[in-house]
Amino acid sequence: MTVAAGVGYALIGLGPALSIFVSVISKKPFLVLTVLSSTLFWLVSLILLSAAWRALLPIKSTATWPYAVLILTSVVFQEGIRFVFWKLYKKLEEILDLFADRTSKRRLFLTDKLQIALAGGLGHGVAHAVFFCLSLLTPAFGRATYFVERCSHMPFSLISAIISLGFSMIHTSSMVIAFNGYAQKKKSDQIFVPVIHMIASIMTLINLAPGGCVIGIPLLCLSAAGTLLYCWILVSRRLRESHGRPAT
Amino acid sequence: MDRALVLFIVAIQLVVGSLCNVAGDTNTLESVPDLEKAMYFNAHGYPCVRLLNLSGEIGCSNPGQEKIVAPIFRQVNIDKLVVPSFAVLTPLEELENLLLRVSGDSKLAPKIAGVLVEATGLENRSLGFSPDEKFPQAEFAPYQNLSFEWNPRGSGIMWKRYNFPIFLLSNESTKVLQEMATQNEKNYKAYPSNVAEFDLVMQTTKSENHDSSSCLKEQSCLPLGGYSVWSALPPIYAGEPPKSILLVMASMDSGSIFRDICFGADSSLSGLIALLAAVDAISHVSNLNELKKQLIFGVFTGEAWGYLGSKRFLLELDLGADSLKGLNSAMIEQVFEIGSVGKALNQGVTTFFTHSGQDTPSTNEILDALQKASESLGSDNVNIKKADATNPGVPPSSLMSFLRKNSSISGVVLEDFDTSFVNKFYHSHLDNHANINATSIAAAAIIVARALYVIASDVPLNLIVLNSIKVNVSLVDELVGCLLTCDPGLSCGIVNHFISPSNVCPNHYVGVFVDTPSETQRPQFADDTSRFVWNFLADRTSAPKKNSSPCKGECSSPSDVCVGAETESSRCVTSTTRYVPSYSTRLKFEANSWKILPANASDPSGLADPVWTESYWNTIGLRAYKVQSSTYDNLVLLAGISITAATYIATLVGKTFLLKALKHD
Repeated sequence: MTVAAGVGYALIGLGPALSIFVSVISKKPFLVLTVLSSTLFWLVSLILLSAAWRALLPIKSTATWPYAVLILTSVVFQEGIRFVFWKLYKKLEEILDLFADRTSKRRLFLTDKLQIALAGGLGHGVAHAVFFCLSLLTPAFGRATYFVERCSHMPFSLISAIISLGFSMIHTSSMVIAFNGYAQKKKSDQIFVPVIHMIASIMTLINLAPGGCVIGIPLLCLSAAGTLLYCWILVSRRLRESHGRPAT
Repeated sequence: MDRALVLFIVAIQLVVGSLCNVAGDTNTLESVPDLEKAMYFNAHGYPCVRLLNLSGEIGCSNPGQEKIVAPIFRQVNIDKLVVPSFAVLTPLEELENLLLRVSGDSKLAPKIAGVLVEATGLENRSLGFSPDEKFPQAEFAPYQNLSFEWNPRGSGIMWKRYNFPIFLLSNESTKVLQEMATQNEKNYKAYPSNVAEFDLVMQTTKSENHDSSSCLKEQSCLPLGGYSVWSALPPIYAGEPPKSILLVMASMDSGSIFRDICFGADSSLSGLIALLAAVDAISHVSNLNELKKQLIFGVFTGEAWGYLGSKRFLLELDLGADSLKGLNSAMIEQVFEIGSVGKALNQGVTTFFTHSGQDTPSTNEILDALQKASESLGSDNVNIKKADATNPGVPPSSLMSFLRKNSSISGVVLEDFDTSFVNKFYHSHLDNHANINATSIAAAAIIVARALYVIASDVPLNLIVLNSIKVNVSLVDELVGCLLTCDPGLSCGIVNHFISPSNVCPNHYVGVFVDTPSETQRPQFADDTSRFVWNFLADRTSAPKKNSSPCKGECSSPSDVCVGAETESSRCVTSTTRYVPSYSTRLKFEANSWKILPANASDPSGLADPVWTESYWNTIGLRAYKVQSSTYDNLVLLAGISITAATYIATLVGKTFLLKALKHD
């Protein structure tokens, strides 16, 4: 591999997040702050979890079950964190609305709220990509490539970049879906998010089987695409529904 | 819908559960350095390096200043290859043919990026492997017949110049690289391909020095050399009337195309071990002071590279150097060399051959003494035979230096061969402990010890004393373990008793001369073998002393030396044991650099001296890894850019679409 490949992998993993950031987020400082705080939230959650895992789980063992436990606990924990993030956002929204009322300015529109949710999701996605992909990409800038024995079809860096791409899409869309679910108290949306997160995470375990990446990676891409589609449908429906009315 | 999702999760979990067993052997990578370690295989190998002489270069080097990267293929397939350059993985049996072919084939040579030699050894040892010439160092022979084949197995590959790196792989690295070559051969042109990365950039190549005089001037190389050792038995005291000298000598270095793996078991360490064991045996004889001759033991280094040790010894002797104070070349009456003596045992009978220079009474005295020594052993079946009269002269040995200087000197070399080497691994890394027999060395030691006593003592011979001279066989075995194996190697008891070695695995390549030659008696960079030999000889040749005090290098009495100075059991003993620097006689160290002296027409062996030097280098490395084609790399970059651009466009389009939908509604 060379610098070209290194940059290529980094763009596969982080490029879409970068595009969303440039086209939507970067124009509004409040959204940039939301992305940063969400990234921080996600990182802190992972640090807390890793502290707990180090103490409790036999990470060095060669069996797969510790990985399954890792994934289960982290998904549950991160979904919990998402709820806390929502609660904090809700508090902020109330303050902002109150402030808007006092200064006789407009309250937050639905599009603003959706963008805040998008920024929150993007923060999670970026954190995931930096943590699990970008940190592993430094060797990809060197001469050698690397194939994991169980996946001789794709270079390790490519797998890592695609997983990162998938998860950044899932995280970004999930936050929009989840915020919508919480706001509208819609149970199906509230459940969809943790479930798709769990499915996508568990699907990465398929990569541990010999040749598993041939199935695992497309499945992950499919679930990412599914989440994206679900999100798109949801957002367009909401926008149509709320047209002309103040956001709820 | 929720229930369906839950069922799906359960199904996935079941699949994952069934994978647990398959995934059980995961090699976990815990960090980025771990990942890099997995990506780059650092092969362990022994390099062939660049050596220079007055007229050119030999050995190996990267052709330029950069590392060389090339796909690995097996030697059997190189004719099928269409790639522009490749690294050849070759079994040792094929190395000589390959290198000889490369030297003659101008089309093949530029395609070879490097050569990797498998460490599997030889399946059929009877084939032999000797990279040296058929007449090693013929230019120093004191006779005209230079086409004589002392070493019929010799291929001469060691003395050629290769414009590519060569590495001898370790066993473990061989397996990994064989696997990589096999993967490459499944599809000759396809990527990913396994490549070897050679880092054997030599300083002389960088600074474009192509001979010893230019590289010494630019200080991109150092001369080969080390420290020879000599010792007197009994010690020489100032003011004593000089006795005629019987010089007993052996060499302590050997040659190999791979400088870092050079045991030289038969040639020439077997002679050294026999000499040490003989010194040990004879040192137990009482009343050594009454011998009519002075025994001097000389152990030379650099003999494989132009007889550096013996020639410098003779030069310093003429110059009356401090390191040889007490000796006088006129007093050297006889020279007796112990050559290769490790392979004399054949079908239960040990036969040694004596090769001598001129037929003089003194020479015959040595030959008679050897016969007497053999007879004194009775039924022990150690035969001494005179070498074939049709031989052109003495075989390649330090004695050549003495004969070139003074053709009338009485000299004999004891060898395990008659007309040509029985050692099929002369100057190769396979001349190791498996190539010799300790019993043969012990037999040589006892013969030498008794013969020395016979020569040096007055007539009539004291047979009781003669028969009491015994060789300590376990000492021979121990020395074989110390000097010719890596386990225990130099960490063995007897070596540690005298020195603290810098390496465990012994290497008898002469190395480069790092010290300044002015400081001869306390050299800073004498190698492990020199220091061990010095201490061993000093200890065994020392006069009995009642109370020896611990010391740190120096002793109060000028006739004393400090034995075991590097260890805790250091002690001052009375012994005449000294180091003699060993480097080319054509070199002089002046104003902090080496100067080449003009050739002196009256010194024919100085004219023949090639003045070997070894290039400096920064690091030597060999890595193997998998690479993708540059097309693939560019595709990845293109994919990354496309995905990023597509998302950007999609976001913009999406935004517009949603806004339009809002307005439309």
